[in-house]
Amino acid sequence: MKAVGARLPRYDGLAHITGRTQYVDDVRIHGTLWTKALRSPHHHAAVRSIDTSRAEALPGVHAVVTAQDVPRNVYGHLEALGVPADEPLLAEGDVRWKGQVIAAVAAESEEIALAAVDAIDVEFEEREAVFDIRRAADPDAPTFHQWGPVYPHFGPHNHRRVRKGDVDRAFDEADVIVEGVYRPQAIEHVPMETQVALAVPEASGRLTIYSCTQAMYFSMGVVAAHLQWPLSKLKFVGGTVGGGFGGKVDTATETICALLAIKSRRPVKWRFTREEEFLVSSTRAPWHIELRDAVTTDGWILGRRTLTLHDAGAYARFSPYGVTKHAFHHTGAYTIPNVRFDGFVVFTNRVPTTAMRGFGVTSVSLAVELHLSRVADVLGMDPLELRLKNANRVGDTTGNRVVLHDPSTVAVTLAAAEAAGHEVGEEYRSMTSDRRTGDLLPEHLVEQQAPEGAHMATFDPTLTNGGGH
Amino acid sequence: MRLTVNGVEHDVLSPPLATLLHVLREELAITSPKAGCLQGGCGACTVLVDGEPRRACLTPIAAIDGASVSTVEGLGAPDDLSVVQAAFHAHYAAQCGFCTSGFMMAAQALVDSDGQASREEVIAALSGHICRCTGYVKIIDAVTAAVNGDVRTAETDIDMGPRDEETITLVPGSPA
Repeated sequence: MKAVGARLPRYDGLAHITGRTQYVDDVRIHGTLWTKALRSPHHHAAVRSIDTSRAEALPGVHAVVTAQDVPRNVYGHLEALGVPADEPLLAEGDVRWKGQVIAAVAAESEEIALAAVDAIDVEFEEREAVFDIRRAADPDAPTFHQWGPVYPHFGPHNHRRVRKGDVDRAFDEADVIVEGVYRPQAIEHVPMETQVALAVPEASGRLTIYSCTQAMYFSMGVVAAHLQWPLSKLKFVGGTVGGGFGGKVDTATETICALLAIKSRRPVKWRFTREEEFLVSSTRAPWHIELRDAVTTDGWILGRRTLTLHDAGAYARFSPYGVTKHAFHHTGAYTIPNVRFDGFVVFTNRVPTTAMRGFGVTSVSLAVELHLSRVADVLGMDPLELRLKNANRVGDTTGNRVVLHDPSTVAVTLAAAEAAGHEVGEEYRSMTSDRRTGDLLPEHLVEQQAPEGAHMATFDPTLTNGGGH
Repeated sequence: MRLTVNGVEHDVLSPPLATLLHVLREELAITSPKAGCLQGGCGACTVLVDGEPRRACLTPIAAIDGASVSTVEGLGAPDDLSVVQAAFHAHYAAQCGFCTSGFMMAAQALVDSDGQASREEVIAALSGHICRCTGYVKIIDAVTAAVNGDVRTAETDIDMGPRDEETITLVPGSPA
């Protein structure tokens, strides 16, 4: 236990402060070509024709790729987990968000690459776009995705569901019903190092790919699937990331670099400009979260109804996983015995969204905590006392039927109260996480309480579907 | 055109309007200055030109013909850290490391100027630099220590003493 509490030198610290750390953009390979992408100028349009012949004829252009150059164009990040794919690497047929890549070129300089992109002729037929998740689910909203307005693959359902207890009864018996709508907005990760990759054809026939990915084996799998190559033909070099924050799990540049390197037989680098990073790299999802709590005047939460809409942007990427995180965290660190959760992944004509720092958890936690303060306000109760009363205790069961053995809500809330100089009543100050008894075990919490030593309450798959991600 | 970089003279072959960042990275393979935004907004490309911190991404090479340029590569090696490097190491001021070179060169200019600066002056001197890992408090701690000659050596740091409470004290007005 020498390391706990000690100041350990960072294993990569000396390299960082002596300029010796080699990020992808610092790798020097003679003859490396620059990449630029032709991106959709429209939020939603049909692509009527693509003509790359003028670009290909430009001196200094070594390769141009479009959808027809990709052995397997449509592949999903979660496909290895059984989640069907919807996103093409290079657009085919339709473009569904402003910035979607239609073609990419590799040329001897950045200037030539830009000129080549300008020389690609594309005919578009612009279509109506939708940007608001509430609007996207309306019956008269424009449709653009082959699966309709929502991601449909959650087992037998078209959305993620949690059902526990008797919610209707909880709302019938409530003294007050408190409603709130919370809408955390999109956030761009803005890593200091923009998305970048370098693909180098080796004499052995393999490709070496220098990558800024946060998820090396994920990215290897994605590249191999698109290329229809065995993993043994790919060598990934990475692990040095100039900031990611979740935005570098998407395999943004590696595959297109690989295609261009194979076609040109030259090393190919693609580094996003700062403008591209802001405009077209994936963001944290915007959400629409509605919470309705059935509460008693003395501060017990009998039940909760939750609707969350996760803005996937134009393609699913990791969004089904994000909404599943909502399903697990929509009661926060509090015990609510009767819950009904419906979470939808909604498609809009926005840049596809992805993970960022606590994927899905931060957004629903923001909503839960704001809502608890709203409940306290409505009841005229101290907001921390409300939290302490409903906080998870040993033996409580979450909305997903996980039995809690070591919950920390009470201790953390009391520590936060003390740190903030927020006084709570004596009966709250003496609270612990111990198993509920007496006044802390009112009738509505008896049934949810697991027997001593139980690990998981009976799991009923008809109530909580477990399919999909 | 000629440049002296970290004490070594170079004939520069890039065209006159090429940026200093391009010359350093692409012609001379000196890669500690980073291409963070290429529009002067982030500070990751900062180097010293005749002792002054400059945005290498906005500096045409023709404007500094004959100048002396300093980058992190010229500060010190792992077994012979400069004051600024030792301070960054001791205070854990590098996280992902991508902005670090720029911060360090701005700090070096401050150390070279008059050897003393208040915490507020350090914050002002670093205000043009972005750390998206948001490690500002540690960076400000490191630079304040470096400027005021209050740097533990790397050896002391590796000694793993108990954590200094002051290093995690938030300072009013800090951008963190």
